Amino acid sequence: MSGALLDLARMHAPLLMIVVPFVGAALMLISGSARLAWFVACAAAIMASVVGVDFAVRLLSGAPPAIAGVAPQIYVDGVGAFAGALISLALALGVLAVGASLKDAGAREAPVALALLLCGAGSWIGALMAADLIAVVVAVEAGWLAAVGLVAVNAVRERAPLNGALRMLSIGSIGGALMLLGAAMLGRAAGGLALEALPLAHIRMPNLAGAGAALVMLGLAVKIGVAPLHAWAGAALGRGNAMVTFGVGVLSVLGAASVLCRFGAYAITAPEIGAAMSAALAGLGAVSVVVGSVQAVGARNLQRLAAYAGVSQIGCVLMSVALGSPAGFAAALIQLVGFAAAAMAFYGGAAAGRVKSLTMLDGYGQRAPLASAAIATGALSLMGAPLTIGFLGRWRLVEAGVGAGWWWASALVIVASLAGVFYGGRLIERMYFRRANAAYAGEGGVWRVALAPALIAAIVAIGLGFAPLFLLRAAGVASGMLTGIAT
Amino acid sequence: MSAELALLGVLGAPVLQAALIMLLPKPPGLRDLIHIGFSLFAAICAAYLVSAVAHGESARIVLARPLPNVDLAFAIDPLGAMMAAVLTGLGVLHAVHAAGVVRAKQEASPARLLAFVSLAMAGVCAVAFSANLFSFFVAYQALALAAFPLVAHRGDDEARPAARAFLATLLASSIGLFLPAMIWTYAIAGALDFQAGGVLAGRVDALTANILLALFVLGIAMAAIPPMHRWLPASSNGPFPALVAIQALAVLPAGGIGVLKVVTFVFGPAMEQAVIAAQALIVLVGTGMVVAALIALSRQDIRERLAYSCMAQSLGVVMGALLAVQPGPFAPAGLFAAALQVVALACASATLLMAAGTTAAVTARTKVADYAGLGRVMPWTFAGFAIASASMIGMPPFAGAWAKLWLITAAAGSGLIWAAALASVAAILTFTHLGPLAANALAARAPTDAFKRPDGASILLAAPVILAAAATLSLLVLADPLAVFLSPIWTPGTP
Repeated sequence: MSGALLDLARMHAPLLMIVVPFVGAALMLISGSARLAWFVACAAAIMASVVGVDFAVRLLSGAPPAIAGVAPQIYVDGVGAFAGALISLALALGVLAVGASLKDAGAREAPVALALLLCGAGSWIGALMAADLIAVVVAVEAGWLAAVGLVAVNAVRERAPLNGALRMLSIGSIGGALMLLGAAMLGRAAGGLALEALPLAHIRMPNLAGAGAALVMLGLAVKIGVAPLHAWAGAALGRGNAMVTFGVGVLSVLGAASVLCRFGAYAITAPEIGAAMSAALAGLGAVSVVVGSVQAVGARNLQRLAAYAGVSQIGCVLMSVALGSPAGFAAALIQLVGFAAAAMAFYGGAAAGRVKSLTMLDGYGQRAPLASAAIATGALSLMGAPLTIGFLGRWRLVEAGVGAGWWWASALVIVASLAGVFYGGRLIERMYFRRANAAYAGEGGVWRVALAPALIAAIVAIGLGFAPLFLLRAAGVASGMLTGIAT
Repeated sequence: MSAELALLGVLGAPVLQAALIMLLPKPPGLRDLIHIGFSLFAAICAAYLVSAVAHGESARIVLARPLPNVDLAFAIDPLGAMMAAVLTGLGVLHAVHAAGVVRAKQEASPARLLAFVSLAMAGVCAVAFSANLFSFFVAYQALALAAFPLVAHRGDDEARPAARAFLATLLASSIGLFLPAMIWTYAIAGALDFQAGGVLAGRVDALTANILLALFVLGIAMAAIPPMHRWLPASSNGPFPALVAIQALAVLPAGGIGVLKVVTFVFGPAMEQAVIAAQALIVLVGTGMVVAALIALSRQDIRERLAYSCMAQSLGVVMGALLAVQPGPFAPAGLFAAALQVVALACASATLLMAAGTTAAVTARTKVADYAGLGRVMPWTFAGFAIASASMIGMPPFAGAWAKLWLITAAAGSGLIWAAALASVAAILTFTHLGPLAANALAARAPTDAFKRPDGASILLAAPVILAAAATLSLLVLADPLAVFLSPIWTPGTP
């Protein structure tokens, strides 16, 4: 009986990856207390991540699993399965990590915030499994609005984040409109909206298709916070609590970047618009690396610093996608894993001690050695230090770039790493070589366990840097599986 | 003991040592026993590896495969084994001396200081035994990160900016210059392995070779080549045990070893393609030697003077390695001079810095003007100081003399008379900033209030100085065996 149920669940894995977080979110609203809501959220997130990881492992191990054809709008490909599993894992770790900071969100607001966190993750996974462009746009907008809601809920206790929410709403709305317009133009030019048909479509109006693809890409870039379209990032993340940093700084950025990778992978392989898309993505990625790096070096707020460092990292992802080769897509996926691990470790370490400004980091190494280790690992990975996954991702980009004659991409990777030396070194110096100027502000007792996700992420960042073969194989298979497996 | 086990011992013992010191900071006796005991163990392992290499054994350990076709691997070769043996051997003396200094000066957080000294030793051994460019890059960065807390140890307003400058210079140059060169090499050769005869041999044109050589050599900022030398004077703010580790045993020697490895194992005969860059770099390092020795003369703080003095000597290593650019019989002479110079510099600078540390610990004096007559009340320490100064200057029969002799011979033999002249001028200037200082310390009238400690220098503070000074005499008998031992590096295929 249980075996049959398990088989049934496995056949519906893509659907479950989307639905479980939404069901969890619905239960949030009737769960009453913040603590109970958190337990329910943990259960839903862990269930989604187990389903997602199991599905991705089965898919990427070489034998395409059977999928029930109950949802015609779902279309699973390698990039979607890989990134969907990654988002569900990040969701599980993020929800576990915010347990210690529920009271920061407020007793009444915490269940709503948790529900928005789950809704956001479900939406981004939905966008990664969507079969056509309109479904992608709808799912992306749902994920984005959940992120805006999360920031706005955070503003109940403090008014400053409201500015961030408003900026997200206004800039994101423009992005949404651009995406919708772009999807319509692309659909018109390609004769259909199905993503799977795009690479082989006979595009009658290449200019219109190119403009449409560029608009979709631009809309997604706004959601990721790619420079110079990241005006919302500092305002939203700079004063955010742990829910916001995980929900927006990690999940939302990761989700939007994954969707852009998937869309870019389809659009760039369409011969009529591939070259233009490649150039646009490369340009956007290059600007993002430079601007993000410069802003991270100048940041005085820890969360802003992490956000800008993430912008730089995402720039490397875009350049990888722009290569338009399986090696480039694989490099992009590895960098997404690297971003998720580094951001999770970074934000988790900071959230454990409620650290926001750089000065609050002074002497943090003595006050909270494990949290400091997580932040240091995140910073090292973001700066691309050897034996971290950050280095692996950048190396793969450089390798793929050099193969394609893109030496400038190598130069930009080095720029990003050089900037990382300055902001990462500054963090490490503050944590380990300055005297503490304040007491540890984090939760004590059993809630110290909430640091575990950050430590797990840090271990993953190092572990995959040492032994990356499994990840390399999975990313390679995923990037080669663009044609997908139909439902 | 197998060679693999000994290699693991050299690399792993200092790491374990650091962990144990941090875990067992008290009682101080136990901490120091761990520090000295593990240092001795690492030195024994390194000595075993020298024997293994001499008997034609090979050993390679792979810790991870972080990139496709690229291992994080360490292997023994004559150059690495010799450097590790010398540095870990001196490391034992330094461990004893450091135990004395932290007690005499009541240094804050002594366990942290000694732990990071151990990690720095692990880093330089990893650099010496790195089997490919990637492993070298990892070990280099690990060494920079391990040495960073040594510079920042005092944690005051002077130490923090110095530590930032230290780390920024070392990491930025390695990422900004060395890493692109490594990527380029990988793109050309499809491999990063160090191999006798050079991985780039026959694969590069002149333009590429010139650019690559400049990137590699300037990217190894630990060699203190101007303008990448800022970290060296910045590090002179650290406590004396840290200074010995940075300037004598770990960071500065790692730069010399790195340049030697790149020239011999990455370029090999391809150096002949990089004539322009090599000669430009020789001009740079030759001028740098002279200027550094001049600056040393102007410094009144012994730590700053020794920092610039060490820089002048270290640049001699780079000059020797770059002389391999000239085809003919004098190319090996340059490489041999560079290897000898690393050994001579390590012995002499360790002696000088330990002597200065002893002096600071028992007399609280760090100004060169205050050294007058101290040799009369601290005869053993200043005898060591004088011997090491003579070695730095290049006076026979001390180690520095043989290194300089080979360096000047190689430069002149290669037709670069001006390079030989620059090395000679630097030696003369070294005499001017160390000779009178040592002579004045020994010959002037003894100060009446020399000691802040009534019992003077303990055996822990004096004995290592004398023993390290004695080591500077070693090349008198070891130069020929060393030439035979190292010959497989520049003549691949020689047993």
